[in-house]
Formats: sequence, C-alpha cells, structure tokens
Amino acid sequence: MLAQQILNGLVSGMVYALFALGLTFVYGVHRVLNLAHGAVFTWGAFAGLYCVTLLALPLWLAFIVGMLIGGLTSVCLDFLAFRPLRRRHGDELATIVSSIGANLIMINIAQQLSGAQIMNFPLDIVPFDNYRVAGLLVSLQSVVIVVMVLLLVGGLAFYVFRTAFGAQVRAVAINERMAQLVGITPARVYFQTFFLSGALAGAAGVILGVSYNSVSYFMGEPMLLRAFAIIVLGGLGSFLGALIASILFGVAESLAIAYASTQVSDMLTFAMLFVILLIRPWGFFRGLHHEHRRA
Amino acid sequence: MWSYLLSYQSLLDTVLVFSCIALSQFIALRAGLFALSTAGFVAIGAYVAAILLTRAQLHPLVCVVAAIVGATAVGALLSLPLARLRGHFQAIATLAFVEIVRNMALYFDAFTGGARGINAIPKVVSSLHLVAILALVAGLLTIIGRTSIGRAFDAIRQDDTVARSLGISVARYHTLGFCLSAAIGGLGGTLLAFNTYSITPEEFGFPLIVSAIGAVVLGGRNSVAGPFAGTAVLILLPEIARPLADNRILLYGAILVLAITYLPNGLVDSLHLRRRNKAAGRLSETTP
Repeated sequence: MLAQQILNGLVSGMVYALFALGLTFVYGVHRVLNLAHGAVFTWGAFAGLYCVTLLALPLWLAFIVGMLIGGLTSVCLDFLAFRPLRRRHGDELATIVSSIGANLIMINIAQQLSGAQIMNFPLDIVPFDNYRVAGLLVSLQSVVIVVMVLLLVGGLAFYVFRTAFGAQVRAVAINERMAQLVGITPARVYFQTFFLSGALAGAAGVILGVSYNSVSYFMGEPMLLRAFAIIVLGGLGSFLGALIASILFGVAESLAIAYASTQVSDMLTFAMLFVILLIRPWGFFRGLHHEHRRA
Repeated sequence: MWSYLLSYQSLLDTVLVFSCIALSQFIALRAGLFALSTAGFVAIGAYVAAILLTRAQLHPLVCVVAAIVGATAVGALLSLPLARLRGHFQAIATLAFVEIVRNMALYFDAFTGGARGINAIPKVVSSLHLVAILALVAGLLTIIGRTSIGRAFDAIRQDDTVARSLGISVARYHTLGFCLSAAIGGLGGTLLAFNTYSITPEEFGFPLIVSAIGAVVLGGRNSVAGPFAGTAVLILLPEIARPLADNRILLYGAILVLAITYLPNGLVDSLHLRRRNKAAGRLSETTP
C-alpha cells in the first residue's frame, strides 16, 4: 500500500515537473512570474481534447498539437501582456497584475468554449494494461508518462545547457543588457523561452487530461498553486530543483491524500510552502541567473 | 428623483463594501508589499463575524470588533515569515495563504458549513452605516498617509535599499502594512457578510483577489480616492452596459491588462498628475 502510493506519487510528480519547469524557466531567465501559466496548461489540454473528440486525430498527434498550441499561446501571452510592459519599464508588480488579467481572459474563453462543462476523452483512448512488478501495480499509462516526461525534460536540459541557443538563453538570464552587447537579440530569447515553457505546459495539460480523463476550464488553478509550492521548494529559477521538488511533492501529496483527505493535503502543501519561506526562502537549488562562469 | 436613486441603493451598498476590500489591498500596495492576501483577510473577517452573529447571537458591533481583531492577529502572524521576503516571494506566499484559508473554510464544516457556507445571515448594516464606516476608514488612511508612516511607506515602495539607508526598518513597516491591510480586510469581510445574507468559501478565491487588485490598479495606488473610483467603475460598468455583464470576468481581465500597461498610475492619480502638470505649466508661463 505504502510503496504503491509512493509509486503513484512519483508518476504525478513527473507531470507536475513538466508544468513547474516551464514556470521556473521563464522566471529564471526573465524574472517574470507568469500567473497565466495555468491558463496555458488549460488551453493545451483543450487543444489535445478537441483534436481527439472533434477532429478524431490519434492521441500522439493530439499530444503534439497540444504542445504546439500551448507554446503559441504562451508566445502570444508574452506579446500581448508582457512585451508592452517591458517597453514601458513596468515594475515586478505590473507584470504580476498583467498576468493575472491575462489568466482571467484565457480562463473565461475556455469556460465559454466548453460551456462550463467537464469534458472527457473517449474511454478507449488508452489501453488499460497493468503489470505486476515486485507486488506493485504498474499501468502501461504511467510507464508511458514517465518515459515521455523524462524525454521532454532531458530535451529541454540539453537545449539549454548544451546548444548555442541555450547559451544565449543563459546569457540573457544572467544579464539581459550585457547579452545585448555581445550581439544576442533578447526578443528572440523571449520567444524561445515562452514557447518552450508553454509547450511543456501544453504537454502536461494533455497528459493530465488523459490520465484523469477530465478536462475543464478550472483545471489550471490548482496546478498553478502546486507549482508555486514546488518552485519555491526547488529554488526559483532552478531546473534540477524544480524536478526534484516536483517528485517529492507528488509523493507527499499522494501519501497525504491516501492517509488523510484532499483538503488536508492542500493545507499541508501550503503550510510547507510557508515553512520553506520562513527558513530558506531561496529554496534548495540555485537558479539559472545565479550561474557563474567556471574557470 | 429620490425613488429612482433609492432603487440603486443596493448597488451603492455593493460598491461601498467592495471599496472597503479594495482599500485593504490599497494599503498593502502603498506599503510596498506584493501582497495578494486581501481575499484571505476578507474571508476570515466574514466567517468570524457571520459565525458569531448567527451561532453565538452576539451584538453586531461585537462581531465587527472580533472580526477585525481576528483578521489583524492573523495578519500579524502572517507578517512574521513574509515581512522579511521581497517581491515575488510575497506574492506566491500570499496566494498560498488565501488558498489555506479557503481550504480551512471547506474542511472545518462544523463551524463554517463547508461548501454550502453560512446562510440566512441577518442584514444588520444599512447604507448609512456603510457610508459612515467607509468615511472613517478613508479618513484614517488619509491621515496615516500624511504622517511619517505614509512617508516611510512611500520610501519603501520606491526603493527599499534607500529606505533602509535612511534608517527605516523595512520589516517593521511591512508588518504594519500587513496588519493595516488585515484589519481593513477583516472589516470588509464583516460588511460583506452582513450585507449579502450568505457567504461561501468559493467567493474568497481568485475572483476576489482580482476584483480587489483590479480596483486599486484601475483607480490609482497613491490617493485614497483611487480604490473607490476603481471599484465604482468595475461594478457599475457591467450594470450600465448590459452585454458586458455576461462577460464580467473577461472585462475585468481586459481592464487589468490594459490599465496596468497604458494607465499605470490609475484614474485618480493620472488626473492628479495632469492637474499638477497644468498648474506647473501656468506657473512657468507667468514667471519666465
């Protein structure tokens, strides 16, 4: 029972990681706390669902479309809500307020699109194959989720830390002005970071929509709140931190739900957030903008 | 004429109640806090007042005082971890705080009625009470704004490093800001509970955060009249243009994005600035 809950938590933690990584990525590079990230996630899930139910596309294609829509939504969000503020040198509060407004608009559109209904994927969309491994119930679905998440996270890490584009992103994270001086166009970096973060959120949306078999306009808000706890635990702007914190968080949550209740689990989550802020507000890992040149 | 105006009395009441909530957000921002905790304080105030009034049958005035004291105590407690933090951390933590309060209201249903909330709260405040209370709060905030506290708040908001070098204890003023915001939020919650007959946990989530911060951003963050103007516009606009009422949330979102980008000083403060600039222009014309 205990081991089974830990395993379940591990799988949901992996999905949280996809969501939280996008949030922490944009924060780490641009110091933008994007409160509309949950809405991007919702739109990705919607896109995936409509691909399956309206266009009758196969799931893998719906997954890719969900990622694309998530990425494009996120780029549009940057263009409409954050870029005008950057040009006017808005402060931190202005960015947060603007993203709250954008979140509201996107959620409302999703609500009207779905008629405020909870929507489902067709039941036979994923095979219900289960395996017994060392006494634990492992579903094919969770294996696929873990593999996909590892691929995506690995891809993102490779991109950021091992390619020339990634070097540009990291340069902007450390100092946007200096990056400009050496010939990097920040606008292009903004495009990339917002697209990648949105694509990850869209992927998380489709995966979560399929695994809970429910897609609704309010699915983003609880995710956003969890992701806040996760990225603070992992250190704002840190990749590895967000990944480890997500998994810890998923396991803790699944244990709390199994042995107590959902509300207790939520309260524990946020109580934990406060404790971390009290003792170690910078989290347990260093963010992208703390990177120093190694000799 | 009077009967026509009286038919809008409940609308006036709503504007006043939400102005009180907006003032709670206003003083937090004025103090340089990134706090979105107003909705949590409002929920605490509303629940304390409603429980004491319906279960313990206490005098409404006692309920109001208890709600304010309760919310302020929570605000002081909250400021312990948060007064030391800056910017985004405060925003995240206060969002979490609102969520904790909402979940507690759902969980302890023996006291709070769970998801159904508390119903059949007698309406014990009249429009006259509301006007008097809001005048009092606005007066108090104006006075605070003109004392050394207000100047310290302004210094911290603009640059807390400079404020610290001037000998201002940032953590202490942040604590004060949280307590003031909590007290006014608790009062606003009481007024909400005593004015609307019923409260449910769902009312105190994201939409309330948005309407509070929206009113302040739209109205203006510097003068006390700002939150009133912002609240009035946000509530009256959907009433005047009926088609907008169905898309109230969409409208709030659009106003928030547009106001913070293109009218960052808000309605009232922009007017102030324009008047001052005009006066300055006249002055420079007469004395070349």
